Amino acid sequence: MLLEIRDVHVHYGKIAALKGITVEVEEGEIVTLIGANGAGKTTTLKTISGLRPLSSGRILFNGQDISRMPGHKRVLAGIGQAPEGRGIFPGMTVTENLHMGAYARKGDVSKDLAEVFELFPRLAERKNQAGGTMSGGEQQMLAIGRALMSRPKVLLLDEPSMGLAPMLIQQIFTIIEEINRRGTTVLVVEQNAQQALQLAHRAYVLETGRVLKSAPASELLDDPEVRAAYLGGGAGAAGGSGGSGDSGDSGGKAAAVASAPGEAAVVDEPVQKTAPDDRD
Amino acid sequence: MTDNGNGKGNAVLTKTAAAENGGNGGNGGSRGRFAGLGERARLRAAQSPVWARPVVMALNLVFAPFGVVADVLRDWWSVQGRGMRWVVYGLLVLFALVLPSDVIGDVMSPHTEWQTLLFFPIGGYILLAIGLNVVVGQAGLLDLGYVAFFAVGGYTMAIFGKYHGWNFWEILVVGVLIAALSGIVLGAPTLRLRGDYLAIVTLGFGEIIRISAQNWDYVNGPNGISGIPHPPNLSEWSFPDGQPWEFLGVAGMSPFTYGALDGRPYYYLMLVVIIAVIIFCKRLENSRVGRSWAAIREDEDAAELMGVPTFKFKLAAFAIGAAIGGAAGVVYGSQATSIIPNNFPFILSATILAAVVLGGSGNLPGVMVGAFLVAWLPEYFRGLAEYRILIFGGALVVMMALRPEGILPSRRRQAELAEGTGGMGSLGAEVGGPDTHAAAVEGAK
Repeated sequence: MLLEIRDVHVHYGKIAALKGITVEVEEGEIVTLIGANGAGKTTTLKTISGLRPLSSGRILFNGQDISRMPGHKRVLAGIGQAPEGRGIFPGMTVTENLHMGAYARKGDVSKDLAEVFELFPRLAERKNQAGGTMSGGEQQMLAIGRALMSRPKVLLLDEPSMGLAPMLIQQIFTIIEEINRRGTTVLVVEQNAQQALQLAHRAYVLETGRVLKSAPASELLDDPEVRAAYLGGGAGAAGGSGGSGDSGDSGGKAAAVASAPGEAAVVDEPVQKTAPDDRD
Repeated sequence: MTDNGNGKGNAVLTKTAAAENGGNGGNGGSRGRFAGLGERARLRAAQSPVWARPVVMALNLVFAPFGVVADVLRDWWSVQGRGMRWVVYGLLVLFALVLPSDVIGDVMSPHTEWQTLLFFPIGGYILLAIGLNVVVGQAGLLDLGYVAFFAVGGYTMAIFGKYHGWNFWEILVVGVLIAALSGIVLGAPTLRLRGDYLAIVTLGFGEIIRISAQNWDYVNGPNGISGIPHPPNLSEWSFPDGQPWEFLGVAGMSPFTYGALDGRPYYYLMLVVIIAVIIFCKRLENSRVGRSWAAIREDEDAAELMGVPTFKFKLAAFAIGAAIGGAAGVVYGSQATSIIPNNFPFILSATILAAVVLGGSGNLPGVMVGAFLVAWLPEYFRGLAEYRILIFGGALVVMMALRPEGILPSRRRQAELAEGTGGMGSLGAEVGGPDTHAAAVEGAK
């Protein structure tokens, strides 16, 4: 097991954001966390990368307990993250941004630089442009490329599709697949459940700080509950038949989830539109 | 100074960047930039209420060329090689050496003695601004109580010089160390705060130092300490009479004899400290430390994710800024011979911050120009008595309205401002820049 999150609780002041999340990531996998706004996806990633302290539970990486390790040391351990809202350095050029990605490493980075430019030819064209003046898609590419520069064992991606056009999302996801094929484990958080489930090997469905379900991604794609709640397809029929179906432990919740597709769609849309503005 | 060993790669980078930008953005260099001025002034004027339009337009037409000149100068500088840079450094130092002459003084300071003015406020403000620039401009931490470190340095000079009979040079070292330590003491518990919260805590710290001094009998409370010894003379040597010294206005002056009458030796002392600090800061800026600060300023969380020990580097910025403030305090105390708590009011912190922002936060030449203007303008207008601060305030407002990024900003800062992280690191993180909305809309497409 490469990364293991065991019963993690996280609080923002008195408000519990994560109420006992358990997630496991095997080496070489692509795992995705899906769920609506406020489900705790971003908080989970921030807790793994060390930006949020956890109140209880444990995070194991390569068998080592890193729950109390400061964030900047986790990079050395092998955790790389492309933060939500991209979080690139706006005043630095593309090359300077990428060099910041290799900050924690020693030795020559030119080979990794070349590899990033090969994965993202677009970045190679804009080497000397300031990060802040690039388009949303280019910034996302830069954020992923920058995270790769630290040669992470596991790459954490927070909403890579946020605020991007469908064509671009497709392109980014193809690249994520390629990164994984080259040997990097990927944990990706997504609101765009359809695409994330097609990409990932396994998936966790998060809701209000708990893991609602975990299964191979292809199974979840066909799961009527998930379809109804997050994929927006065949809501009425699928929700009706699947409400009390196969998921024995969360039957009550399933009904609630299934009844919310219209609402979820309404809430999700505007958030995605304003997303590029929302960096924290 | 800029072009040291490890900065070479960077220098090459900026060169190409500047060259490209000049080609695309400037429409063929400086001439293109000037051509756009009229149109830009008209556009800016169109945004203001009808009654104000002629004024805004006129102000833009008169002052905007200075901004263009500043940008052109910076771009010219960024493509210069080593030799040219050293020539410029040499000329600048030479200029600084003859600056106290009466010929310049009569023009620059019709109401006050120019030589004393050059030491403080001008020299003092410049040194303080360079120190505050490390904290605000480089690491992006808003410090509203910077004067506290100036006070720590001043009181160190007073206590050790008057009570313990140490000499100036020993105290300079001790003062810098004590100030750095006080920076760490302030920073360690408070640097977990961000933006406005940090600003308020530092503001409080500045007041605590001043009020403590006011109530501490050991330093005579509000009466302060007088009779602080001058630095020991380094040499009795003085410039000979006759040309060219008379022309330069230095004939008969002893630059290394520190008495009560002549302000010039203190000015030269301040100059040496300033130059040493500039070299130190410039080397830091181009090092791993400087890059870590830039990352923290632009996005603290992202910096942590890159493996930057953000807390450690923020603390270092605080300590270094404080050390420079302390050095300024020691030098100031040695000339002033007497200091009282009210030498270190909050308004001095605010003024130095204004100097940094006005000059172009993050860019050393910029903050020095800013500090010079902030120190010199009120003295120049001294003939206007009570109205001088009004004029000064008006000048600040006009300058910031016309050029929010400061007089001589770094290119990086201009990019940050355009992106909407503001000119001030974490403080500006929540404040959108002028083009934020447009950028966001574009990003969504």
